[in-house]
Amino acid sequence: MYKYFISIFVLFVFVDGFSQEQKKDTLETSKDSTLYKSSYGIRVGIDISKPILSSINDSYTGLEIVGDYRISKKFYIAAEVGFEEETTQEDFTNSTSKGNYIRLGFNYNAYENWLDMNNEIFAGYRYGFSIFDQTLNSYTPNVVRGEGNGIPYFPVITNTTASTTSLNTHWSELVVGFKAETFKNVFISVSGSYKVLMSSKDPENFQTLYSPGFNRVFESGTGFGFNYTISYLIPFTKR
Amino acid sequence: MKKIVVLIFLSISIFSSCEKDDFCTQNPVTPNLVLEFYDANNRESLKNFSSMTVWSESAENNDNLFEDITNNKLEIPLNQFATETVYNFSQNGIVNQFTIKYSTEEVYVSRSCGFRVIFNDVSFESDNTWITSFTPQTLTTIDNQNETHVQIFH
Repeated sequence: MYKYFISIFVLFVFVDGFSQEQKKDTLETSKDSTLYKSSYGIRVGIDISKPILSSINDSYTGLEIVGDYRISKKFYIAAEVGFEEETTQEDFTNSTSKGNYIRLGFNYNAYENWLDMNNEIFAGYRYGFSIFDQTLNSYTPNVVRGEGNGIPYFPVITNTTASTTSLNTHWSELVVGFKAETFKNVFISVSGSYKVLMSSKDPENFQTLYSPGFNRVFESGTGFGFNYTISYLIPFTKR
Repeated sequence: MKKIVVLIFLSISIFSSCEKDDFCTQNPVTPNLVLEFYDANNRESLKNFSSMTVWSESAENNDNLFEDITNNKLEIPLNQFATETVYNFSQNGIVNQFTIKYSTEEVYVSRSCGFRVIFNDVSFESDNTWITSFTPQTLTTIDNQNETHVQIFH
């Protein structure tokens, strides 16, 4: 009986045969030995979106200086320092945040450059810290009536006694963007960031609505940022 | 370069066209005073007032709050910029003055809702024309309107 089984198994055996294959050319091609070196150094610049926004938006003033330092082929240490003043107008409150911030972190360049190009598509992390004053300029008690937000029955007076509190916020952010070398050593960069609040000192009986460097603080403690920078590379070495 | 111009344009439009994304859904934020009207003879059962007009002298334009209403429940706002609100409840031409005394406190709620007002150390007075009595005489705080604050017997 087993004899038949074994014979049947033989049917499943297959054999590969090669006869027309030619031997590959073994001639050695010499590798291209030209090495493109890229510059290492400090890159400094400014965020030009902030002065533009300051000029078109009455309730905003801002300035940001950016810098990075290349530590390896792919990694850059990056920092941003800035000043911002923003007035937030809400339905029932009007407040101004004014102060300084710093963001520290690194960028990882994921872009493989051709030849001697110096472009980047990068992702990075920043730790952000800001010290600022938030002034509650005025507020109106919310006494709206009924479902249709009817007019309050009693006269409503807006409280204009300003109160200022010194605050600080700490946050983490993820940055993605790209950089392009437009002229020799001059870079234009566009990046966006997603921020998560780690800790913040809130004013008593009020809330941090806007933090310099973090921008508008959303309900869940998240924020978004945008940078458009022009920077100049001061080359130290070429590697 | 063209790409960059497009990007600048895009970013500016993103920044400048931010639509309002949160609305105050809490309603009302500042609590009203809730009154319920009971039968003076049978203190367990609700009794409607009929064609009552409600107003306060301190209201804007001296408007009536309610005109000719028939119900057993009344929600009335308190004047947040005073320590006392005097209401007139006029039923069949008889006016009953109801006075509420309190201190106010402004409490921050949220970005979209702003500040609300809560009322502390509340006490009530009535000149009892058609109202016979009410309970309680005082309340420590009015910070919501989920429940009836005062029961009025007539």
